[in-house]
Formats: sequence, C-alpha cells, structure tokens
Amino acid sequence: MSVIVQLVVSGALMGMVYALIAYGFQLTYSTSKSINFGQGELVMLSAFVSLSLINTGLPYWLVVPGGLLFGVLLGLFVERAAVRLALEQKGEGWILLTVIFGLLGFSAAENIWGRDDRPFPTPVPSDPMHFFGIGITPLEISVAIGVLAVMGMVELFKRKTLLGKAFEAVSADRDAAGLMGVSATRIIMLSYGLSGLVAAMAGILVAPITTVGPTMASALILKAFSVAVVAGLDSGFGVVVVGLFLGALESLASFYIGSGWREAPGLILLIMALALRPNGVFGKASIRKV
Amino acid sequence: MKNTLLASLLCIAATQVYAGDTLKIAITGPFSGGSAPMGTSMRDGAKLAIAEINAAGGVSVGKTKMKIEVVERDDEGKNDRGALIAQELASMDDLSGVIGTVNTGVVLAGDKHLQEKGITRIITPAAGSASMTQWVNKADKPGAKDLSIFRFAAHDGIQAAMVVEDAIKRKFTKVALLHDSTNYGVSGRDDLLDQIKKQGDKLEVVATEKFNIGDKDMTAQLLSAKAKGAQAILIWGIGPELAAVANGMAKNGLKVPLIGGWTLSMSNFIDNAGSNGNGTLMPQTFIEEPITPRVKSFIESYHKAYGVTRIPSPVSAAQGYDAVLIFAAAVTQAQSTDTHKIKDALEDLKAPVKGVIATWKQPFSKWDPANVQTHEAFRREQAVMGMVSDGRVVFADSADRARLVKSMK
Repeated sequence: MSVIVQLVVSGALMGMVYALIAYGFQLTYSTSKSINFGQGELVMLSAFVSLSLINTGLPYWLVVPGGLLFGVLLGLFVERAAVRLALEQKGEGWILLTVIFGLLGFSAAENIWGRDDRPFPTPVPSDPMHFFGIGITPLEISVAIGVLAVMGMVELFKRKTLLGKAFEAVSADRDAAGLMGVSATRIIMLSYGLSGLVAAMAGILVAPITTVGPTMASALILKAFSVAVVAGLDSGFGVVVVGLFLGALESLASFYIGSGWREAPGLILLIMALALRPNGVFGKASIRKV
Repeated sequence: MKNTLLASLLCIAATQVYAGDTLKIAITGPFSGGSAPMGTSMRDGAKLAIAEINAAGGVSVGKTKMKIEVVERDDEGKNDRGALIAQELASMDDLSGVIGTVNTGVVLAGDKHLQEKGITRIITPAAGSASMTQWVNKADKPGAKDLSIFRFAAHDGIQAAMVVEDAIKRKFTKVALLHDSTNYGVSGRDDLLDQIKKQGDKLEVVATEKFNIGDKDMTAQLLSAKAKGAQAILIWGIGPELAAVANGMAKNGLKVPLIGGWTLSMSNFIDNAGSNGNGTLMPQTFIEEPITPRVKSFIESYHKAYGVTRIPSPVSAAQGYDAVLIFAAAVTQAQSTDTHKIKDALEDLKAPVKGVIATWKQPFSKWDPANVQTHEAFRREQAVMGMVSDGRVVFADSADRARLVKSMK
C-alpha cells in the first residue's frame, strides 16, 4: 500500500510543475486566444538568469524576485515582438513567431551558458523526511507550496482587483470589454507578463530537481501542454487536478506496466480528451454565433 | 593592397610548409552536454600528452622531429553529429589518426566511414561492447578482414564481469538492473545478464527497469526494486540520470549499494548526487591518487594546465593521455605519418610505452575477426574497483593500489 502512496505522491509532485507551466499557457489563451510556443524556453531562460544571480552572490530571497522580474520582462517582450502584430492583423503569425522566439532563446542559452546541465543551489534541504513510510523531501514540498502560492495569487488578483476584473472581462468577450472602455491590448500585455512570471516561478522551483540546462524544459513543456489541453485552456484550477492526475498516472504506469511505458497513459489520456471533450475536462463549451 | 596580397600568399606558403612537417591527429568527443565531463577530460588529457611531446621537439620520424597538430570536433554525444564528423575526417587526406569519442552510439554511427578509408582510429573512452563487436564474425556475415579501429578503454564486458563479481563477493543474491534507454545502457544490461549467467547464476535479477535521458523522477523504478527485495542495484547509464537514481534511493529509503559502469565516476554524477553518492562502486582504469611519481606528475600537470583541483573524469583523462603516447610510439616505429603504416605498427608495437595507467607492452595484435581481444588494449588486470567518497573516487580495495604500482614498473 505504501508503495502506491509513494508513487502517487512523487508523481503528483512532478504533476504540480506540469500544472504551473500549463497555467502559463492558459493565462495568455484566455485573453488573446494565443499561446506562447516558446514557453519552455521562458522557463529555462529564467532558471539560467536566476542561477547567474545566485552566482553573483545575491541571497536567495533576492534571487527569486530577480528571476521573476526577468520572466515578466521576457513575457512582455514576447508579446510585443511576436504576438501583438499578428493579433492586430487577426492572423495566426504568432504561432510561427513564438516558435522562432523559442529557438532563439534556446540558441542564446547555449551560447551564453553552454550546453551543460548545472546544479541549482537552494536553501531548501533535499534530505528526505519520512511520514508513515512515505519519503518526501522538503524541496518537493517547496515546489508544491510555490506552485499553489503563485497560482493562488494570480487568481486572487484576477478576482479581487479592478485590473483583474478587466482581465476577466477581456477573457469573457474581448469586443464587449473594448466597448466598455477596457483596452484589450493592455490586458493581453498583462496576461503575457503574468504568463512570464508563472514560467519563471516554474523554472526556479523545478531547477533544483532537474538541474539547469538548455534542454531542461523540453520534456516538461510537452506534458504541460497535454495538461493544459486535457484540462481545457480556460479551466483555471482545473490544470492542478489534471496535472496531479497525470503525474501520478505516469508514476503508477511506470511501476505496474514497466518503465518503458511511462509516457503512454498520458498520451492516451490526451487523445481521449480531445475525442470526448474537445474543450477539455474542465473547459467551458464555447457557443459561437455566426 | 599588393603588400597584403603578398603577405597572405606568403602565409599560405608558410602554413603549407608547416603542414608537411606535422603529424595531424583528430580528437573527437562530446565537449558539451551530459557526457561532457568524459569528453573534455579525454581531450585535455590527450592534449597534455601532445603538449609534452611537442615541447620535447615532437615525434621522431626518420631524422626529423614532427610536431603534432590537433583537429578537434565536438560531437555533442549525438549519433548524427558523430556520423557527419566521421565523414569529414575520412575525407581529409593528411590525417594520421583519430582518437576519442565517449558515446557508444556515436562510435556505431561514425566508425564505418573511417574503416572504409582505413584510417587508424583509437576509441577512448567509449566502453560499450558493440563498438568493437560490430566488426567480428557473425553467423550471418563475416567480420572485417582488416580493421583500422582499436579500442583503448576497459570495455563493458570487463566492467560487467567486475560488477557482477563484486556483487557476488558481497554475498548478494537478489539484484535489480537499472539502465538507460541508449545503446550504451541497453548493451550494458545485456553484458550484465550475460555475466550473471557466466558466473554461475548466483544472482537473481528481481527487476529490470529502464529510464530515459533527462528523467529526474526514478521513484517508480526504485520502488519496484525495493518491493522485490533487491539487495543491490546494478546500473548502466550516464552522470545526470545516475545522480537522479542515487538521490531517489535516499528519498525512498532504499539503502543498498549502487554498483555500475565506470560512468559512476563522472563529476556530474558525483556533484549532483552529493552525499547520496557515497559508497557507490564502479570499475576504474585510473584513480586520481599519486601512487607513483609518473602518475603524480600527470595529475599535477593536469590540475595546473586546466586550473582544476579535481579531474572531471580521471579515467578519461588518463586514457586520452596514454592513447596519445601509444599512438606516437606507433608513428615512431612506422617511421611514417601514413595512417595505414601506423595501423600496422600499432598491431605490433615493439617498445613498451610508459603510460600513467600501466606500462603498455604490445597492447594490440594483428586483427582477427574471430577474436575481438586483438584490438582491445585493456584486460581485467588493468581495471580496479573504485568507490565514491566525499566527492572523489578512491580505491575500493587497497590491495589494488599495490597491484597497480607493480604494473607500472
């Protein structure tokens, strides 16, 4: 029994990271119906910048806001450089442009920091603690807390502040919000900034576990994308549920079916979700009037 | 304008004259990515030997002394890059030999191009058995008649034998096999299974689990081993994932020894595993301890030349160093920079070569497609068990130290 619990716990903790990255996809999709396909590079670049900040001798509590600020700026840059023009022209150019931005970020990281995987120092200890026979490290707990904290804060902001209400309004109906005097362009900018913040947080949280390297996010990002699609691209906290589920499922599959089959259940889940609930398990079916 | 043109013409002429007096060797390997500690250490060890030879005037060929010129290529540990590099090297007319490469998959992808042209090639430190066994006689197809590929590394056959031997010596009966999904990991698993059978089936394999490059969460694999009562984990993989396994073992309370291929001595395993890596056992051909004056001077010059206090992969560095010395000895014996003549000399090296791993007496012999050992330099006696202890690899068994000192004589 404890084996199953351990598998579920370990897998679910990785699932939390998928959920956080998936949440970054949601933020921009809800306002602009566009997605940054270079989100993984955002995660990786923010982790690298944070690592460089640590290496300058900055204390950890200053490194985190520094890394997050970098993420926000990068998010804003992507919006300005790759998304805004395409959206103004009502085109799909952002797909290619964000992909290109990602490739650019990848090459930049290879040239600036090299291709090696480097350890990411953290004040949170990684010695395991044991509860009822389940091994869990404080590092993993910090990941869970960090994920929920950052998502909680963004959701709170969306629900409680005036700017957040504007955010929700644009998500609900961009044109109507525009007629009410809400600038959709500004809100989309904001959503990309927030998406960058979330990506940076994911990078900082996951780096001590995955180590920092140009390819650190490439495996994560595909799973995060699956989570976002399965949960629904406007599902809010739905990504957490799906993320936890997918993480645990991977871990269980790898134990019971065989370690070669780790990825299979997630992909089957993705196909099933697309076939049965195209808007996602937690997504709202959109009504389009023509 | 005229002057510049003249100057550049002179330059070209000068380099051409220079090129005629040099011995051109290519060094290839992953100088970036997860295998980089092995690749860069091998390269730096080899370049240390080259610098020493050049400082002494060069390799003597006839009455002249030839300086060694190096062509470096980073294959990034990627099979396709390796194939491209091998094609490029095979098309160079004045190349005397190729030394290097870490990843077995890269060797498999590239070596056929070098073999076609008969370019002398010393594989080091890639240990996967398949790099050499691809050339031997098979049931359906005869092996290479004349092989220009040599190996200078303790191949996985030797290593797997030592790992299994060690597990039996420690009185284990149930073990779990973990391996990565690359050519290296899969062929390592097969070698282990083969050796377990050969050594009398004293070990029961309770679980065989694999993981992918980049995996960080090994919980499922380790719990499977734990649930089935494994007393030791025998493992074949490279640094970052090995570290994830060691850390996962600590997390899941799996307190059994981790024994595996020599990659467990890579710096990116030792650093990322930290204290969880202590006690890990692996075969080594070189331990970074100044056991003889020759070894001491090698370690010190490496540290000084590259500004480190620890060689990232001591085995790779020492093998790179000795491989160059052996290659240079073959050039001297062949009295030629012609790669085919160097190959013949390597197959029958007369003078012993004083390396830092051993004193090499006839490391290779005439290629026999029925016996892969003819082009394998290492035997069981050149390898020892190493153990990770507080960030370094030390002798697991102190008797081995005395044995190695003796073999250096």
